[in-house]
Amino acid sequence: MSLATLFTAAFLVPLFQTTLRSTTILLLTALGGMFSERSGVVNIALEGMIIFGALTAAVSAQLLEAPYVAKHPGIHIWWIPWVAVLLAMIVGGFIGWIHAVVSIKYKADQIISGTAINLLAAGLPSLVLVYFYDNATNSAEVTNRLPQWFGFSPLVYLAFALVPITWYVMFKTPWGLRLRSVGEHPEAADTMGINVFRTRYTAVIISGMLAGLAGAYLSIGLLNQFVRNMSAGQGFIALAALIFGKWHPLGVLGSTLLFGFAKALAIQLGGSDIMPPTIIEAFPFVITMLVLAGFVGTSRPPKAIGKPYEK
Amino acid sequence: MNRLWLALTSVIFLLLLAISPWAVAMRAFGGKGVLITIWGTLDLYGHARAMPDVSWLGYFTVFWVVLALVAAALAFVPNAKSRARYYYILGLVGLAVFALEAFLFYHAVWAANDAAVAAGARRPPLKRYSLSLGAYASLLYSLLLLMIGRLQLPGGRALLVRWRGVVVPVVSMLLAMVAGAVVVWILRDVKLPEHASLLNYYTAKLDLVTYTFQLLFGPLLTASGWFQSLLIATPLIFTGLAVAFGFQAGLFNIGAPGQLTIGAIMAMLVGVHLASAHWFAGLPYGVARAIFLPLSILAAAAGGALWGAIPGWLKARYGAHEVINTIMMNYIAASVFLFMIASNEYTFFGKWTLHMPFKFPGYEGRSYEVAQSARIPLMVNLFGFHQDASGAWTGSLSWALPLALVALVVAYVLLKRLEMGKRLLLALGASVVGYFIGGFLPGIPMHLSSRLASVRLNGAFIIAAFAVAFYNYYMWRTRDGYELRAVGLAPKAAEYGGISIAKKTILAMAISGALAGLAATHYVLGGGIDEYRLKQSLPTNVGFDGIAVALLGQNTPIGVFLSALLFGVLSTGGLQLDLQLGISRELVMMLQALIVLFIAAGGFLPRYFTDPILAAQAEEGVQGVL
Repeated sequence: MSLATLFTAAFLVPLFQTTLRSTTILLLTALGGMFSERSGVVNIALEGMIIFGALTAAVSAQLLEAPYVAKHPGIHIWWIPWVAVLLAMIVGGFIGWIHAVVSIKYKADQIISGTAINLLAAGLPSLVLVYFYDNATNSAEVTNRLPQWFGFSPLVYLAFALVPITWYVMFKTPWGLRLRSVGEHPEAADTMGINVFRTRYTAVIISGMLAGLAGAYLSIGLLNQFVRNMSAGQGFIALAALIFGKWHPLGVLGSTLLFGFAKALAIQLGGSDIMPPTIIEAFPFVITMLVLAGFVGTSRPPKAIGKPYEK
Repeated sequence: MNRLWLALTSVIFLLLLAISPWAVAMRAFGGKGVLITIWGTLDLYGHARAMPDVSWLGYFTVFWVVLALVAAALAFVPNAKSRARYYYILGLVGLAVFALEAFLFYHAVWAANDAAVAAGARRPPLKRYSLSLGAYASLLYSLLLLMIGRLQLPGGRALLVRWRGVVVPVVSMLLAMVAGAVVVWILRDVKLPEHASLLNYYTAKLDLVTYTFQLLFGPLLTASGWFQSLLIATPLIFTGLAVAFGFQAGLFNIGAPGQLTIGAIMAMLVGVHLASAHWFAGLPYGVARAIFLPLSILAAAAGGALWGAIPGWLKARYGAHEVINTIMMNYIAASVFLFMIASNEYTFFGKWTLHMPFKFPGYEGRSYEVAQSARIPLMVNLFGFHQDASGAWTGSLSWALPLALVALVVAYVLLKRLEMGKRLLLALGASVVGYFIGGFLPGIPMHLSSRLASVRLNGAFIIAAFAVAFYNYYMWRTRDGYELRAVGLAPKAAEYGGISIAKKTILAMAISGALAGLAATHYVLGGGIDEYRLKQSLPTNVGFDGIAVALLGQNTPIGVFLSALLFGVLSTGGLQLDLQLGISRELVMMLQALIVLFIAAGGFLPRYFTDPILAAQAEEGVQGVL
């Protein structure tokens, strides 16, 4: 394979498509994480939330369709994947709520609480899979996946549409202003009559719901089943993208596109002799470290991030 | 409030006594048992051939009911001192009665077995018999009464707060176990005989839950179970110490997986490629061993230290948060690892080709074998046993290791007057002398069971024990350790005291990384992944498990050791769980995660347990805190 083949449509079109698809997961997750972190709660549990979302979507879609598929194999029912997506968001939100209770109400170290959720996401799915499918590594295959609109899942469009929406909510609405003030200076926000706890709870739950949505896209949008550890660190990459994007929707769009492109490139170049994919895969992590150290622009986190609020 | 809690626990205790199986007379492989409850026998097995005589159980049940009622009534005794005395008496009586019950039960089982054998049975019909949840509940209730007695006296609750380092993890673990029990209850169905009542259903479910935890803790009962548990605990001790070391200095090192990976790569480079390089081919084996074994262990530590020091430096120099950086370094390490071990040839831009010598030919991603001189021997070898040509284990129990240990302890205790550094050095010297003297003494001829010999517990465990001792010594007996803890507790105060936070951060991350890197000695040099190679299946996740170990152990050396052992036991028991009940081993992972979550939430205990300032006030007896 020579360098010239890199500039042909046969290489570039799938590269473009894969980029959009891998960006979607990162974008949804990172935008969710932005709500949580802007409100002052570190959300290292994004990885676990994706996994729980993916598990819920695949298992619920499979269980919902099972009676219909048993009668008419291969039948397509339009509402099943959407119900599954909704359930994935609810479960993601529930995991977010757990993170919120432990780190806001019980004032735990937010990083430890998040780590616990990630550990939980490494163990619990296997138990669920064994219960339903007698198989510890993957769920049964789902027939009713999310539909494709013009070659992409609707969630891809949604993810990109969420960028301006998030920007509007965060910077142009009173609620967004309150959220940011809670993350920057909770004492001042409290004096102004803003309910710090409730704002943080809402933000963390929203972040869980969006991560759950990303998980649903992963299991019934991209693939057609849940596979153990299928997230493979994308929650952490999303976290990195959030930092690289300076906790701003447009920055996050840019950084997730870059990281999604790196991932797509690694997939497309797999097996070729241009560049070993392992090197390209490490690229987002190196970039994030350089950004954090201030070599490539500076990134300032919300001031009150990581600190439990004492009333 | 106190009275309410007491009434509630008494009711729960009586309920457990009524519903749960009191003992199990026998159990088949797979869990089906013959359950003894206070109402009679519930036979889930189907064709029990013998039964122990437990007709006395009814009297004891009446006793426990009376005990619980008396305990509840005692809450209304006005004088705290006499209340405490009565609870002590009740608790002690309860313990004595429990002991009597246990004795009677096991006696009855043995009698039934003897009778069956005498009647012509080929082997004793009752197997896997044990007490069960009902009996355990009465034991716990008695202990609880003793504790309540202590709580009645002045300063009772302050005492609990003083012991919060034990109370919080234990409460969190119990809560996690309850959550695990609920999961098992939901996951597994029970098969009941026909016409079974609802009560029988609950009894069978509770039996399943109890058996699950009996299996999980089962390895504590056999020698090979202990060996296997220590085997799994060895890397956890290293990574747990690594995380704990960071915590003491106020740093959260999530990078143990990456540090472990780089440590493993360095150990591989030295142990495989340097040790079998042709320049050293002429060295006698003894000399090569004296050089390459320590060198490859140090290489593992150095690799981890490097990978830990980088985020430390980034934090000290640029203020970049170590959590994000260590996570990133984990993935970079994984990429480096994959790059080295998955293939030997890479082409860049279709022109330049890179050749590497690391991957062993074949489908699987693994390195070449570690040179003989750099291998860490198995514990059974260290104890003086060796495998002969037919594969049987022969030899005699050597005095070398026991004598080394005795010499170490004796010298350490006797040299109390010396300064700490010299004391340690001399103690180590004494242990080496003890090792050699013991080696020359004739050993005790012994037969080694093949089950015990098949456990690949290796010398890395001894390194882990030394790492625990090092952590204890360095953190609490040296000036550097004191300064590290000062930085962790109050960075600003430490800086005013003249401590350089930047230097301490780098140092702490480097040592933390080195401890994580040492876990690689177990996997690569000790043959922890079945072969003396670095394999792609290197279980880097133990780096994350280290977080759970450090938290459960509350960052103390003995706590880290014990919690690593606990997780080792649970993982070993998880194997049986999978075999017998078909419950996935991931239950253990779930328990670990819940323990971390609950400890993070302070075991859901009141704030004066978790907040250091409030806790100190509670200990001092400041009014209004408790």
